Amino acid sequence: MAETEERLRRTMMFVPGNNPAMLKDAGIYGADAIMFDLEDAVSLAEKDAARDLVYEALQTVDYGDAEKVVRVNGTDTPFYKDDVRAMVKAGIDVIRLPKTESAQMIQELEKDVAAAEKEFDRTAGSTHLMAAIESAKGVVNAVPIATASQRMIGIALSAEDYTTDLKTHRYPDGRELEYARNVILQAARAAGIAAFDTVFTDLDDEAGLQRETEYIHQLGFDGKSVINPRQISVINAVYAPTKREIQTAQMVMAAIDEAHEKGSGVIALNGQMVDRPVAMRAQRVIKLAKASHLIDEEGTFVEK
Amino acid sequence: MGISKAALAGTLESSDIQITLSPAANGIQIELTSAVASQFGEQIKKVITQTLQSLGIDNVAVKAVDKGALDCVIKARTIAAGQRALGQKEPAWEVL
Amino acid sequence: MAEIRDLMIKVPSIRHQWLTFLAGHGLQDFPPAEVAGVDHVVGLYENDRLVGTGATAGNILKFIAVDASTPPGAYFNQIVSELQSRLAAAGQLHVMVSTKPQYEKSFHYVGFQTLVHTHWGVLMEAGTPTITQYLQGLSGATGTIGEHRSAIVMNANPFTKGHRYLVEQAAMQSDAVDIFVVSTDRSLFTTAERLHLVQTNTADLANVHVYLGGDYMVSYATFPAYFLASNDTIINYQTTIDARLFRDWVAKILHIQTRYVGEEPLSHTTAIYNQVLQKELPPQVQVKVIPRLKVGRTIVTATQVRSAIAQNKLSEIRSLLPAKTWKFIQIHQTELETRIKKGMTIRGN
Repeated sequence: MAETEERLRRTMMFVPGNNPAMLKDAGIYGADAIMFDLEDAVSLAEKDAARDLVYEALQTVDYGDAEKVVRVNGTDTPFYKDDVRAMVKAGIDVIRLPKTESAQMIQELEKDVAAAEKEFDRTAGSTHLMAAIESAKGVVNAVPIATASQRMIGIALSAEDYTTDLKTHRYPDGRELEYARNVILQAARAAGIAAFDTVFTDLDDEAGLQRETEYIHQLGFDGKSVINPRQISVINAVYAPTKREIQTAQMVMAAIDEAHEKGSGVIALNGQMVDRPVAMRAQRVIKLAKASHLIDEEGTFVEK
Repeated sequence: MGISKAALAGTLESSDIQITLSPAANGIQIELTSAVASQFGEQIKKVITQTLQSLGIDNVAVKAVDKGALDCVIKARTIAAGQRALGQKEPAWEVL
Repeated sequence: MAEIRDLMIKVPSIRHQWLTFLAGHGLQDFPPAEVAGVDHVVGLYENDRLVGTGATAGNILKFIAVDASTPPGAYFNQIVSELQSRLAAAGQLHVMVSTKPQYEKSFHYVGFQTLVHTHWGVLMEAGTPTITQYLQGLSGATGTIGEHRSAIVMNANPFTKGHRYLVEQAAMQSDAVDIFVVSTDRSLFTTAERLHLVQTNTADLANVHVYLGGDYMVSYATFPAYFLASNDTIINYQTTIDARLFRDWVAKILHIQTRYVGEEPLSHTTAIYNQVLQKELPPQVQVKVIPRLKVGRTIVTATQVRSAIAQNKLSEIRSLLPAKTWKFIQIHQTELETRIKKGMTIRGN
C-alpha cells in the first residue's frame, strides 16, 4: 500500500496515447484519474510517436488534480522498457501494467521503475503501480499481485481479454464477471488498495452504464474505467452520497475535531466510539460530497 | 548532421501536426501548411528548428502540415520524425 | 472519436459493405482491375458505423470517400493521414492522388500540391521527393541556353531495334536526349531489367541520358490505363493528365523542346496517347512522330518479342533485337517463361 490518505477514484478515463486532441482536453472533464494508453489504443507503427507525445504532454498540459496513470506496453513487448523509463522520467503518478498474471511481474516492474527513478533523478518510491487483471490466471493470483509491492495503489479488472480467456464474451447483465469482480475486490481490500472496475463499452446505452455502476458501487469498487468523457457524470452521480450520509459524516468529523480540541483520546458520537473505519468512511463521504459539488468547502449544502 | 532517409510522424487530425523530413544539404528548410500560419507560423517553425537541432539535425527539408498543434505536440512529432529518419530506436533522453 | 480499422475486402460481406458505401458517395462502375490493384483498404468507424474509407495502390491514394463530419474535414483528414502514415512506415514518403476537382481543396489543406488540373480531374502529390526535387535530382538533365533538348518516354519491354532506331533519330536531331524509362514494375521485364537494357543499348550515344520516369511519366499514378484494360474515355483523360504533367513540369524544368514518339499502328491505347500528346504538348513542346522501323516486312514491336518468348520461338525474333537484348533473353529465357506461366501478362504494353 503506497498511500497514507485515500484518493477518490470514481473514474479513470482512457486517453489514446497518440491522439493530441484528446491529450490536450483530457483534464477538463473532471475525471479522478486519467489513463494515458500506450498499449491497445496505439498501433505498432506508432508506439514511438505515442510515447514521445504523452511524454511532452505530461510536461506542459495542465491535468489539474487528476491522478496521472499510464498504461505501458506489456512486459513481453519490445516497447515495455522504454515506456517505463520514459514515463518515470516524465514524472507519471502511476504505471499500469497490462495483462498482469503474477506477483513476480509486478516485482520486476518495481525493479525497472526503481532503476528509472535513479537514472532520471526522480524521488525514490514516487512512482506508484497498479495491475490490470485480464486473464483467469491473473484472477487466481489476485491476492499475491495486490500485495506484490509497497508501490501498489490498485488493481483493475479488464474484461475484454478476460472474457475471451474464459471462452465467453461480455453480456449486458455481467454475470460472467461476477467471480472476477468479487475476487479482485477482496484482494484489493485485503491489501488496502483500490479496486477498479472494467469499462462499459456501449456509449449509447446510458441506462446500462448506470445499472452496471450501481452494481459495482454496491459491491464496493472505488470506481470504473471510462472510455468517453460523457460517462463521467453518470458514474459520479451513482457515487454521490445522500444528504443523510453527508450529515452523518459531517457529525463524525465534528466529533473528531471536538475530541482533538479537548485533547481527548476517545472520540464518541451518540454514545458509540468512533473508530478508524468509521472515521475513514466519513472522510471519504465528505470528499465525495465535495467532488460531487453537493457541499462547499465550509460544508454547507449547495442549493441546486 | 543530415539524415539519410526520409521519415514522417504525426497525423492530419485536429490538434496534431504532420511532419515529413527528407534529406537536404542546405540547413533546415521548413515548408509549413497551416490555417494559422500568419499568426503562429514563426513560433511553429521555431519549435521545429530547436527540436531538430537538439537531435543534432541541421541539414534537412521539413514539410509540416499543422492542424492546430500545441508546442508540446509539435516537439513530440518532430522528435518522432527525427528519430525515425535517423533510425534511432531508443528514446532521445536528452531531448525529451 | 472515429476509429480506423483494416477493411479486408476479400471477405464478401465486407466487400459488399465497402462497395455500397462507395456507391453511396458516387464512386461506382470502376474497372474490376482497379479494385484488384489495391494494396490496403481502411475503414473509419464511428460506433461500428462505417463513415469513411480509403485505399492505397502503390503510393497512390484511391477510393477515398467520407461522410460529412463535425468539424468538417475531420473524417477526410483522418483517412488521408492514416494512409500516409502507413505508406511512410513502409518507406514510401511520396504520395499521389488522382481525384475529382471538387476535392482539390481538401487535399490542398492537408499539404498536397496540384500537378495537373483539368475540368474532369486533378493530379496531386504530397511528401517527398516532390516533382521538382525529382527533376532537379536528374544529373546531366539540365539544359544549357540555346541547346536543343529532346525526350523519349519508353517502357522498353524489352528494348528492340525499333527503340534503338527511335533513339538514334532523336539523338541525330538534338543536342541532348533524355530517355525516361517507365518506373512502374508491372511488365514482363522488370523495371531494373528494362532500365539496364536501355542503358547498355544506348551507351555508345554520347548525348543520350537514361533515367527512370518515376511517378511522373506513364506511371501507375498518371496513366493506370497503360497497365489496366480501360475504356477510351478513361484513356483520354489519363493521357491528358500525363501529357500536361510532361508539358508543365518535366519539359519546363528540364528545358525540353521536343518529344519523340514512335508511330503507333498496333496498340490502341498507345495510339490514343500519341494523339493526345500531339494535341496537348504544342506549342510549348513539339511532338515528332517517327515511323516504325521495319525488318523486312515486319514492323518491330516489343509485343511480338514477348509473344515469341511465350511460345518458345526465340529464333523468330532474333532479327528484331539488338545484340545485348538478344543475349539477355537467351540467358534469362527460363525465368521469363516462368513469369509468363505464373500469370504475367504479355499483352498490353
